[in-house]
Amino acid sequence: MDILVCLEGSASSASAVEAAIGLARSLGATLVGLAIVDEPDIVAGQPTGIGGSSFKAERDATLLEDAHAQARGWLDDFTARGRAAGVLLRTLELAGRPAEMILSELQNHDLTMLGRDVNFRFETQERDRYTRDRILRRAGKPIVVVPAHPAQAGATVLVAYDGSAAATRALRSFAASGLARDRRVHVASVDDDGADAFEMARRGCSLLAAAGIEAVPENVVSAESITDALLARAKKLDAGMIVAGGYVPSPLARFMWGSVTHGILEHTVVPVFLHY
Amino acid sequence: MISSLTVVPFVLYLLLIAALPLFVGRFWDSNRNKLAVAAAASLPVVVYLLAAHPAGAELLVGAAREYLAFIALLGALFVISGGIYLRGALAGTPVVNTGFLAVGVLLASVIGTTGASALLIRPLLRANEDRPRSRHLVIFFIFTVSNGAGMLTPLGDPPLFLGFLRGVPFTWTLQLAAPWAVVNCALLVIFALVDRSIARHEAPRPLDQGAEPLRIEGELNLVWLLGVVATVFVLGTYGRSWFAGASSRAAVQIVAMVVFAALSAVTTPRKVHEANRFTWAPILEVAVVFIGIFITMVPALEFLQERGASLGITQPWQFFWASGALSSVLDNAPTYLTFASLATGVANAGGGMLSAADLGGLAAHPVGHGLLAAVSCGSVFMGAITYIGNGPNFMVKAIAEQHHVRMPSFFGYTLWSVTILVPLFGAVALLFF
Repeated sequence: MDILVCLEGSASSASAVEAAIGLARSLGATLVGLAIVDEPDIVAGQPTGIGGSSFKAERDATLLEDAHAQARGWLDDFTARGRAAGVLLRTLELAGRPAEMILSELQNHDLTMLGRDVNFRFETQERDRYTRDRILRRAGKPIVVVPAHPAQAGATVLVAYDGSAAATRALRSFAASGLARDRRVHVASVDDDGADAFEMARRGCSLLAAAGIEAVPENVVSAESITDALLARAKKLDAGMIVAGGYVPSPLARFMWGSVTHGILEHTVVPVFLHY
Repeated sequence: MISSLTVVPFVLYLLLIAALPLFVGRFWDSNRNKLAVAAAASLPVVVYLLAAHPAGAELLVGAAREYLAFIALLGALFVISGGIYLRGALAGTPVVNTGFLAVGVLLASVIGTTGASALLIRPLLRANEDRPRSRHLVIFFIFTVSNGAGMLTPLGDPPLFLGFLRGVPFTWTLQLAAPWAVVNCALLVIFALVDRSIARHEAPRPLDQGAEPLRIEGELNLVWLLGVVATVFVLGTYGRSWFAGASSRAAVQIVAMVVFAALSAVTTPRKVHEANRFTWAPILEVAVVFIGIFITMVPALEFLQERGASLGITQPWQFFWASGALSSVLDNAPTYLTFASLATGVANAGGGMLSAADLGGLAAHPVGHGLLAAVSCGSVFMGAITYIGNGPNFMVKAIAEQHHVRMPSFFGYTLWSVTILVPLFGAVALLFF
């Protein structure tokens, strides 16, 4: 098994590296550190006015040099931390559009680790939700999103399950990933009717049982939003990871229909396993 | 009567200058390609002037003379300001930052908005390099030092120097001191409030953190700068009585500019040029692009002078907004001359015999004076509305980004300028035009 770790300068990326090292040690996996230089955005054409193109050329060269230097720095740091932890690793530096580079590369790996607040377009953008959203929407492979400074949580995994195709896909992907090894797994469903919620959770447990994983059904009945109810249950169980289903990345779509997965992703204090 | 079709190469060329860097940036990076575009736009104009215009050859010679004088001055100011370096850094408090911009506002009319921007932007960035939010500093720097400040002398901004080359007296621009003061004082006050508000939300810094007294390196360039200012002033004021022909006057001025630029290049220590990251590339680029502008605008200016009164723009406030609106998306130097020619046509509609080739007459004309003032203010002030309105805008943006300031996008910056500058310019239009 090998795990792709997407590197950049945010605190959540550093946390993703720590989490990846932890997984690599427990699963015997190889880590692949990936740093990206967002060359297309740095050198993209701009209206420069008269006399501006020479300043733009100088600016582009400076930003590219800085981006390469930062990428090298993150890869060196990743290598040092991985070696200190005694895990097998290799590194990769690519130049191109971050979302496309990561989407292409992650197809070659079993699992991808990503910081929640990553900014791969750090030379040109204050924030970069675009890249993360695009990766989560298009990956078609399991991804673990890690928040900055995750809580020191236990070995429990909470699987949020609502019977949907997206939730089922995430659950099966989690079962196949090996991440359930040595962990207690709880499957939670939220409903106004506790019996219905329990039945749904039990069906999720059956799916896991078919993959050889024992799980405990959790019915959640709460006056809070589904997101808050699931996060509260995760906290109560001292969960160290949440498995969630669908992801609705567009802000408009989130506004129109909401997204429990997105809410969990934004507010969780533990890593989230996704497979969209 | 000149055909309106002759304006097409000029308009097309200005649009290409604005659009090509965006869509084919790599192609536009090469000066050879810029020259090819300039030649392609100029060729039909040259053929038309030589084959079909009775005074075509004379107009082309005049354009060449004006071009050389214009580039010589820009080049001299570019080389000299590139030889002055402000070492050290102040503590970037709101008071210091506002004072810094105020100094830039005063300096820009002497060394030009480009020179003042190149000289001051790096010390300002150094003074604020530990602040988490500093893009507002750069935005207000562009509003003031790079644009609004350069109003008081023809050296301040290229449009005004073009006017000067066409006969506007050196001291005429001092009459624009009132709108200059209103715009720059208002911007400094707004900046001080914005900077103070942002600084309040930042972690407190020790007052002396990062502070290092400013000192000038390459100070000999101040002498060469004085020489440039004196030459332009003396030739503008007494040149007509000393030299009968425009060509001899221009020749003296060009030689003087070249000499001062050469003196600066020779006497400036290498470390100063290195600290300023001085290269010849920007001025070469300007020189190449302006070849096309000076040629293609010849028939366009004639057309506007001839038909100006029939185009419906007759009032000073209309000239202010129209010249400003175009200056914000095209370069403000050719825009200034375009509207000055239009103003000549409007002034002539009342029975005058003014020529766009001699804007001194327009500046002294009872109607033309107000129109020229409106064109000057519109062209200079509203060059700040986008990154491409005036030469220094993009330069300042690029330098700031090299210092890791994430500047707003083209439209993000325009949102800032529309929010802050347009209401201010509305007040200026009400007060003065």
